[in-house]
Amino acid sequence: MIQVEKISKRYARGENAPLEALREATFRIVPGEFVCVRGASGSGKSTLLNILGCLDRPSSGAYWLDGEDVGRYSDKQLSRIRNAKIGFIFQSFNLLPRTTAVENLEIPMVYGDGQVVRERALNILERVGLGARANHFTAELSGGEQQRVAIARALINRPALILADEPTGNLDAKAATEVMILLQSLHSEGRTILLVTHDPSIAAYASREILLRDGAIASDRTRDAVAANRGAL
Amino acid sequence: MKAGRIASQALRSTTRYRLRALFMMLGIVVGISSLAILSSVGEAAKRETMQRFKNMIGTFDTVIVRPGGGRSRGMPTLVNVPPTLRFEDANAIATELPEIKRVAEVQNAFDIDVQYRDRSTSPAVFGVSSNWLALRSEDVADGSFFSDEHNASLARVAVLGTDVRNSLFRDDDPLGKTIRIANVPFQVIGTLKSRGVGPAGSALDNIVLIPVATASRRLFNRDFLTMVIAQVRDPAGSTEATDKVAALLRDRHHIRPPVLDDFTITNPAITMAQVTRARSTLTRILTGVSFMALLIGGIVIMALMSITVSERRKEIGVRRSVGAGRIDILQQFLLEAVGVALAGGVVGVLVGVAGTQLVARMQKLPPLLLWRPIATAILVALTTGVVFGIYPAWKASRVDPIQALRS
Repeated sequence: MIQVEKISKRYARGENAPLEALREATFRIVPGEFVCVRGASGSGKSTLLNILGCLDRPSSGAYWLDGEDVGRYSDKQLSRIRNAKIGFIFQSFNLLPRTTAVENLEIPMVYGDGQVVRERALNILERVGLGARANHFTAELSGGEQQRVAIARALINRPALILADEPTGNLDAKAATEVMILLQSLHSEGRTILLVTHDPSIAAYASREILLRDGAIASDRTRDAVAANRGAL
Repeated sequence: MKAGRIASQALRSTTRYRLRALFMMLGIVVGISSLAILSSVGEAAKRETMQRFKNMIGTFDTVIVRPGGGRSRGMPTLVNVPPTLRFEDANAIATELPEIKRVAEVQNAFDIDVQYRDRSTSPAVFGVSSNWLALRSEDVADGSFFSDEHNASLARVAVLGTDVRNSLFRDDDPLGKTIRIANVPFQVIGTLKSRGVGPAGSALDNIVLIPVATASRRLFNRDFLTMVIAQVRDPAGSTEATDKVAALLRDRHHIRPPVLDDFTITNPAITMAQVTRARSTLTRILTGVSFMALLIGGIVIMALMSITVSERRKEIGVRRSVGAGRIDILQQFLLEAVGVALAGGVVGVLVGVAGTQLVARMQKLPPLLLWRPIATAILVALTTGVVFGIYPAWKASRVDPIQALRS
């Protein structure tokens, strides 16, 4: 499903030695997993997320997504992959301003191969509990509601992988819990989710945790093992 | 179609930022409307000039020969031309040159006293050949025109222009009545249809036509002509025919270079083309102003679109993250610019059409709705949109989605 083989990302820094944001990370994610990537800021979380989300390409190593070696794809091919196989959820929601909830959901359909089907957008809004808010402008929605619209947008093209980057970072505790419960229910429906966070309480919703430190994988454990480790401390 | 879906996104973005779109349209509207007015009014004026020329000379497929070398100003008349152009010359042109279809002889003078009972007027009197109406493809309004027999027998018959008819006869029937032209009695056998005004606004209906032989022997006592109008068989070969006529006349008048011609030949088709091509300084300035407005409009589009691109970096990032390729982003932003320019063009044309009707009314030109300038204006607006929209659109397509999403 997702196979990452020794991927590294280096950024040139003029005369200094290049910055290694990611060092030879290797792991697999099987369909239906709920994985959390955790680490301090600067640990390489964002870099890994950008590569997994096909927004960026690794400097070296291989990335297999749903049977395709996307590590060397062109901009056009990566755009197609992002459209068909990946659903992004961002910390700051990233909904379009002056646009209604349902119009935001239609945007991924614009760049796909099929038609823009409003019915489908409305169904998914219903699924995240915002059917009544479909024609509201995004500015009229609360933070939690905006994030649920963003989640609905991530789901619209039935992606193979959902990537959530600090999805609760801008939310209060109640809204954060609602969003995490929604993600968990998506997971229980069999969707593959990769969640990036620095917050252990959010990470606890996942079934597996990959810990990054200085661009390298420091640990990769199932939730039981994580819990056991915590208990031991 | 993906392109259609992207176009619909562009349209939605434009309606979302209405005020911005309005400002972007402004310069285009000004430029296009003034262009549309200029070209429509220019075309209307050109057609009016052409019509007036046609009113005066009746047809464009002719060459006109006048006596005297060099260019003389105004209409030739018996008192201001040298006696060099003869009836025999006209006859030779008609019989010796196969390019010429028919020739009309003209002997004319202005301000001749014409009386009917106690009324009098001073029109132009034209002695012309009986083929005059055929050459000009005209017809009489009432009665008939004079014939070759009238001409050969030096008949004193006259055909009146509408102005003369009106001032001498008012509501009476002029046919069969006797008028006195410079005290010589003539019988009215017909009246002409109105010819409107000439290129300089002169009245073309203040005229009396009589047979040219009668004019020469019984009225003016002159045996030379003021004009010979030769109609060419093939309008496309009128330049060649002009040269042939000139060669024939030089031969007949024994003129060899360096001796100058004692006649002048004008080709009305060429003269008219020169007149209508000459554009007034005002037109040029206004054309410059409209292009300046278009240029400013284009720059406004470019500036506002560039600002838009920086403002909407996040949107671009989001679109890229859900699968928009660089080309899709380029397409959307270009379509937004082109769409606004096109809307500006359409509004400009509407304003222009309204303005054209207004100017036409003020200038007393026939109102005119021309499709060519309208299509050109729309095309110019479209081009402006593409030219000035491409750079901001390209900039939008180069926005790095990672940076844009993080900001």
